[in-house]
Amino acid sequence: MTSVNDKGVSAGGLEFEDQDLLRSIEDSGVGFRVVSTLLCLVILTAWVIFGRQILRGLGVTGLNQPVAWGFYIVNFVFFIGISHAGTLISAILRLSQAEWRRPITRMAEVITVVVLAIGAFHPVLDLGRPDRALNIFTAGRLQSPLLWDVSSISAYFMASTVYLYIPMIPDIALLRDRGVRPRWLYQFLAWGWQGTPRQQAVLERAVGILMVLVIPIAISVHTVISYIFAMTLQPGWHSTIFGPYFVVGAIFSGIAALMMVMIVLRRIFHLERYLKQVHFDYLSRLLLIMSLLWFYFTFSEYLTAFFGNEPSEMRVFYYKVTGPYAPFFWSMVVANFLIPAILLSFRRTRTIPGIFIASTSVVIGMWLERLNIVVPSLANPRLALPTGYYIPSLVEWVMFAGGIATFMLGFVIFARFFPLISVWEIQEGRKLSIAETTERLEGYLPDPVPSAATPPMTEGG
Amino acid sequence: MESQSEPRWILGLQIASVSMIWVFVLSISAWILHLLRLSRRLHDVPSASVGISIVAIPVFLLGAAVLTYVFVGLRRGREAPDESTLEPEEK
Repeated sequence: MTSVNDKGVSAGGLEFEDQDLLRSIEDSGVGFRVVSTLLCLVILTAWVIFGRQILRGLGVTGLNQPVAWGFYIVNFVFFIGISHAGTLISAILRLSQAEWRRPITRMAEVITVVVLAIGAFHPVLDLGRPDRALNIFTAGRLQSPLLWDVSSISAYFMASTVYLYIPMIPDIALLRDRGVRPRWLYQFLAWGWQGTPRQQAVLERAVGILMVLVIPIAISVHTVISYIFAMTLQPGWHSTIFGPYFVVGAIFSGIAALMMVMIVLRRIFHLERYLKQVHFDYLSRLLLIMSLLWFYFTFSEYLTAFFGNEPSEMRVFYYKVTGPYAPFFWSMVVANFLIPAILLSFRRTRTIPGIFIASTSVVIGMWLERLNIVVPSLANPRLALPTGYYIPSLVEWVMFAGGIATFMLGFVIFARFFPLISVWEIQEGRKLSIAETTERLEGYLPDPVPSAATPPMTEGG
Repeated sequence: MESQSEPRWILGLQIASVSMIWVFVLSISAWILHLLRLSRRLHDVPSASVGISIVAIPVFLLGAAVLTYVFVGLRRGREAPDESTLEPEEK
């Protein structure tokens, strides 16, 4: 059947205006198999190394006493932070009716789901006996912020998956109607979508509920992650601003990761028609604002610690600022503040390559920030112990590579089966958004002057 | 219509998947309630922990409810089959 439903999606025609968006699905080619095989090899290596870690214990890592948390927890916080790219940004853009969101939201939502799953697995890697994780089902202690994390991350994962899936239904139905294989998969996931007005009303209502629901969940998730640190009395961690500081950092790294992904996919899948300079321009302005906000929080956090001059706090402070972690600390400041501020402030450098460099710099800088939070506080405990050290072993580096490869594989598999840009939202935008935006703009403007027929009010009249 | 000619096992699979969401959500809610009871029995939880944990339950329930609403709404919102487009054996 060839029809154009009310969502504007051509249901069965083989050729249509947005054919480019389906190219990765209908014509995946050898590239998909080569890339996914290579990524699978990296992931397999990471699993073998993890098996070895289970057999030999955490002694194969660089973890020690007192630095009992290293790369695994750093990556846990980092990946969960990146996950804020998607659902939160997508929900905010939808809620504010930002029309330029249309080619961005799907990619952002995919990042959330994939990265959240990877991040949530990292605390399991940190366990010497991963099987004991099952004890939380029978004897978990609600007093522990780690357990709050389990429930908040599960809730966020569920809400994000639903929020990714529901707006995908019209596009899945498009693939079903075009006879794309595996046909049963698209029939199964399309849930009988025909684009009738009643179905559209249901879908819009559901997306409306979800976009309001996911914003507080996303904020609560990273706040709860900060509680893992802030609820302890460790120097450098026990801070009241850790919740908002983590949320700001998460959104900051999330936007940077989203732009990196957008630039790479734009190049690979030739999406230049959809992901235009204006999209990057708006997102880079957001990134610049977040960079300034991040600097403000960091300055405030460190100035308070420095001014208090509390001995155990100062040991952590100097460990970071002038001690063994100084290269990481100052690299973090350069990567998170100086580079994006310089590159994104000027129109001349706010080009696609400039934005890619700034985004990459922020992603690296935010990873360094997580490292700076986790390790120095553990290396300088409040107890009278000698200063600790932490050098990650090859095991941890391989697991890190495995995490990144899983992220890339998740994206490659998604792109093989589903459009990376929402087809129906693009088509709906073409049909409806110009009229809607014009009407909205007219609503912002002052009301017209009353007509001459109405007698003007006179002074004293 | 394409979607109307989908096999019955697909519909069965769809119902099973929505049911699985409810199994997951009810299980996780039961788990949180179990931990709350356990903590009360052991007298070891400040009230803030209880509050933070208990907030998760309605979030899970709402997520599953939205998904079920969409599933039921999309099934009900389909057009009635057009007699002229049905295959002879379907008539």
